[in-house]
This record gives sequence, C-alpha cells and structure tokens, in this order.
Amino acid sequence: MNAPHDPAMLDDVAVYALGSLPASDAERVRAHLATCAECRAELQALQPAVTSLAASAEQSPGALLKARVMRTVRADAQAHAQAAPAKKQPSVWPAYFVAAACFVIALVSTLMNLSLVGQLRQAQTKVAQIDRNSTGLARSLAQERATLADIMDDNARRFPVNGGEVIRVRDKLYITLHDVPAPPRGKVYQAWTLAKGAKLMSPSLTFVPDRHGVAVISLPVDARQTAAVAVSVEPDGGSKQPTSTPTFVVSTG
Amino acid sequence: MARVRSRDADAFEALYDEYHRLVYGVALRMLGDASAAEDVTQAVFLKVWSAPDLFHDGNFGAWIVRVARNRSLDILRSRASHQELELPESLPEADAMEDAAFARLDGERVREALGQLPEEQRQPIELGFFGGITHEEIARRTGIPLGTIKTRIRSGLRKLRTALDGVVTA
Repeated sequence: MNAPHDPAMLDDVAVYALGSLPASDAERVRAHLATCAECRAELQALQPAVTSLAASAEQSPGALLKARVMRTVRADAQAHAQAAPAKKQPSVWPAYFVAAACFVIALVSTLMNLSLVGQLRQAQTKVAQIDRNSTGLARSLAQERATLADIMDDNARRFPVNGGEVIRVRDKLYITLHDVPAPPRGKVYQAWTLAKGAKLMSPSLTFVPDRHGVAVISLPVDARQTAAVAVSVEPDGGSKQPTSTPTFVVSTG
Repeated sequence: MARVRSRDADAFEALYDEYHRLVYGVALRMLGDASAAEDVTQAVFLKVWSAPDLFHDGNFGAWIVRVARNRSLDILRSRASHQELELPESLPEADAMEDAAFARLDGERVREALGQLPEEQRQPIELGFFGGITHEEIARRTGIPLGTIKTRIRSGLRKLRTALDGVVTA
C-alpha cells in the first residue's frame, strides 16, 4: 500500500543512500520507503552514484597481499579437490554387504569363501587409508591457517628483503617472498640462519617457489635466539656453507 | 562467480585482480591505515571464497564495495566504542535492479565528476561515505545546520548521478 509522498523525506532518503544515518533514523526511513513509491524511486536513482564513489578511491595494496590471499585459496581448493574423489570412494557398506551375502551363501553351501574375507579386509584398509589422508589434509590446512595468522599478526616484526619480508612473530621466523624466479636447473634456494653469538651461518631449509613465484617458509629455529637470516641459491639438496652470493641477508636480532 | 562457487581458484584470482583495488581503496580511505585496509581486503576476499553464496545476483562490483564499506565501518565502530561517537548504519542493501543499474566503475571519471561538485556538496558526501560518520556528526564538525547538510548531500548525489550518466545508467 502506498502512503502519501512527503517531499521533506527526500533529503533523508539521500542521507540514507549514502549510509550516513544513525540506526534510529535509518529505521524510520526504511519504514517510510516501504510505503512510498516516490521515495523508493529516489533511492534507486541515487544509489548508483553512491556506489560509484568507491571508484574514486581505487588504490593498489602491497603485492604480498595477493600472495597471502591466493595461498589460502589455492590450499583450500586443493584440499577440496582431493577430498572430492575421496568422498566418491565406495563406502564400507557394499563390502559389508558382499561379505554378509557371501556368509549366507557359505552357510547354504557350507563353503567358506576366504577370499571374500580378504576383500573385506582390503576394503577396510582402504577406508582407513582414506581416513588417514583426510586427517593429514585437515592437519595441513590447519597448519596453513596458523602460518597465515602468524604472518598477518599485528604484533609481528617485519624486515623487508629483496622480493618480500622476513617476519618475526613470538618465537617464529618466516620468510615470505613473491615474484621469485625459479632457480636454475639443478639448483634450489636455501635459507641460512645466524644464531645469536655465532660467527657462522647455519644451513636451514631448501625451497623452490610455487608456479606463481611465491614462497612462504617457516624456519625451524627459535626467533629469539636468531640474529640474522639469509637466502642463497645452492645445488639441489642444499649446501653446508653458502656457495653463492646471498640474494639477501637481514638482521632480525 | 559460478566458477568461484565450484571452487575454481583461477576464477577467484581473476575476480581478485579485477576488484582488489576497489576494495582496498575504500578500506584505506575509511580507515586511513594501510595495514588495516589490507586486513579488510583479505577478509573480504576470503569471505567471497569461503561463502560465495552470500552474493546472490546483480552487480558484483556494487556488492563487494558494500561489503568492504560495511566491514570497514565495523572496525571504525570498534575504534569509536572508546570515543562515545555515534556511527552510521551500514550501507543499505540494494536490490538486484539497483545493483544492475550500476554498470561500470570508472575511477578517473568518478574523480572528475566529484571534482566538479561544489566543495559544500562534495565535502559532506565524502565525509559521509568514507568518513564513516553520521550526518549529525558532519553538521557538528562543519558547523553547518543539519537540514542544510542533508540538502547538500542530496543535491550533490543528484549532480554526481547526472555527471556519471553513461557510466551508471538506470
């Protein structure tokens, strides 16, 4: 039902469209809009102009943001893709059914078909394997999320390096890189850490970036006891001492 | 969006590439803090990935702007809870037709159209949209009567709409 149009409401409708009315006034305008076709038309006319305001603010965030978002999304998509065929695996029910049916036949024929028992065990083993894979996937996803939470932690200390950051949060140390070129054939990237008070860097993990040039490495050291982090290109399998000029060395102490 | 709903990460990446500057820009203008704006951008896009059905139909750009603005408003609300400052409601939901009317965002053209508005109209519009404050607060800050602020907001929005005709078409 349409209520009489009140031209005095048009200004309120404009402020409502802009999203600048306090809750109590917004409720009053919403109630009016429900019954006034003219004011609804005004809202419809102004709303695109309001939304277009957003375009005036367009800005580019840091490149690492996309790497963070896409890392989570791709990990989730991969987990989803792996979980989907697992769901399609035959459930244990048909195996039990076959076993039960064979048992009845065996009773009737008094012949025990041992091979079916074997098949049942095989089916059970398969189900257990799928269970283990699912648990592993869930664990890996939880780990990805924990890493993501760490590298986004507001209290993290960030040390900019060539192509990314070294991030220190509590006792954890991460290297997050983006746009990293693939290492030459037969080579990998290797991280190095310098323990506080030590004179020589210790070899740490080797890694290669993913196909998007992104690498997020959790270093297996206590950040509180680590004075510096470096990365260099080393032969596949890693080195005991750096054999090339590091792509970066950063003090984290 | 149909491909994103079927967990296609490449389709999601294309969506991110197209809209992340818009989402980040709105959050940055509202929060004035690059780190918080990146958090909002990440949260908004991960929400799109984890709950794509929140977007029903209409224009995706208009929808994600509303999500980004409302999310930023939530942060401003949590900051303001210590300051006794009343904050506006979230942006009203537009129906599919209104969303569809919002055809294409062109940053350059919107900036130009905004720049052509008289300062007295542009200021309350920008304060309302990006400042996350109520029209009453705008009136208080500018020392201009409340009724005048409301009229200027409406006049400015109508002019903006006319200036953007062709970019936004009903």
